[in-house]
Amino acid sequence: MTLKPVLSLGLAAALLLSTTASAADYLIAPVRPNKLVVVDAAAMAVDKVIEMEEAGPAPFVPVVDAAGRYAYVNINQTESIAKVDLLSGETVARRDLSDAQTQVKTLFGLDLAPDGSLLAVYESPTALHLTHYEVLPTRISLLDPNTLETVRSFEVPRQITVIMFSADGSKIYGLGRAMHVFDVATGTQIDEMPTQAWQTERYYPSDILDAWSQFETSGMLVTPFYTARSDMSLDAPETYRTGILTMDRASGEMTMRDVRALDVFYFSMAASPDHTRAYGAYNVLESFDLVSGTPIKRVELPHSYYSVNVAPDGKTVWLGGALADLAAYDAETLEKKGQVDMPGGASMSLGSIRMFQRSD
Amino acid sequence: MKHLTPANSKAKALAEAQAEGRQEEVVAMNSLVGCTTSFDPGWEVDAFGAVSNLCQPMEADLYGCADPCWWPAQVADTLNTYPNWSDGADNVSEDWRNLQSVFPDPKG
Repeated sequence: MTLKPVLSLGLAAALLLSTTASAADYLIAPVRPNKLVVVDAAAMAVDKVIEMEEAGPAPFVPVVDAAGRYAYVNINQTESIAKVDLLSGETVARRDLSDAQTQVKTLFGLDLAPDGSLLAVYESPTALHLTHYEVLPTRISLLDPNTLETVRSFEVPRQITVIMFSADGSKIYGLGRAMHVFDVATGTQIDEMPTQAWQTERYYPSDILDAWSQFETSGMLVTPFYTARSDMSLDAPETYRTGILTMDRASGEMTMRDVRALDVFYFSMAASPDHTRAYGAYNVLESFDLVSGTPIKRVELPHSYYSVNVAPDGKTVWLGGALADLAAYDAETLEKKGQVDMPGGASMSLGSIRMFQRSD
Repeated sequence: MKHLTPANSKAKALAEAQAEGRQEEVVAMNSLVGCTTSFDPGWEVDAFGAVSNLCQPMEADLYGCADPCWWPAQVADTLNTYPNWSDGADNVSEDWRNLQSVFPDPKG
């Protein structure tokens, strides 16, 4: 596989987002124990704090509809889904996936179809028998976004974390031990692209941990991966490698490539809307050129951030997660532009930091 | 069974199930129960054998490890067993001193 960014598609996506008349940029952050915090990106200020019932210990993955009106989020130890009106702050629908016989966890897999017609949820069910648990097959359930009732479900492999609809809504990409591709209409797996088994003739199996959904402004799922060259001495520091995986939801093209020696970790990555840059975050923030596949710049961060996202105009990189502030960095210089503190200093934990636009 | 006393939680469950006529539902455990089988280091030392690639500060990672039951030996599992462990300690930078050790409930 080679990296061949589809610049035209990325540019089209960026233009679509940036030319919406008087649309304002917002971030939405899941905050402990039961809050969604909406932040006005231009003002760098909290716009609204939304509380949900029985949502703890923390909301995990929010996803906002195209109009910026409703957010869907998994809550309640990831066993429930809530639909929240971002204007009124009311929870307008809720679905508790578990019952007395079955416990259902959703963890990191939640995405809304681009046309808003289906909400996809990756479910890990366990039957709760009298004296033992029975692990049941993992599945993707497609929920009606209005009622949150299940429209249909289909079994999928275990160990999938992030899921993402294709741009046309016909496919769902699921990142697990491989990149699985499912047909939404039939529920069948129609493709599988190796990730752990990527280029095993030159590399040891690649290690991926991707628990953050942050592909909405770029239309591109990006994650770091870590590996080692199998044709080099394990005593040499250069043997250990950092790579970048990109999955374009518009073209369906997935790429993986070795970008540098491994000397620090990035917990997650996000791409710029024009697909020319990727940003990795954890204890450092680092920019990468996605065209040449090379690192550009790295800066130290004041503390760990799990989640990174890129503004629709590509000029600001937002960091969040772990502690209690959203930090804005210049996408080119990586200089800090400001930060927004979460109310009460409440932790964002593992929550995905999402961006959306709304015409107010 | 009147001459036998259940010695552990499984035996107690069997006795209870027998009284309810559900003993056939009691089965031997043949798989690990819990949310993780991960025993790799992560809190004590990073992948480079040092500490600079651990979360900084340590408090930043407390809930990131508790909420998905990542390292339940080091940090209480709020995903399943101890969902209220962090109640009232939302600001982990300030409240971490209020987090307590947890102990399994007695069984059997």
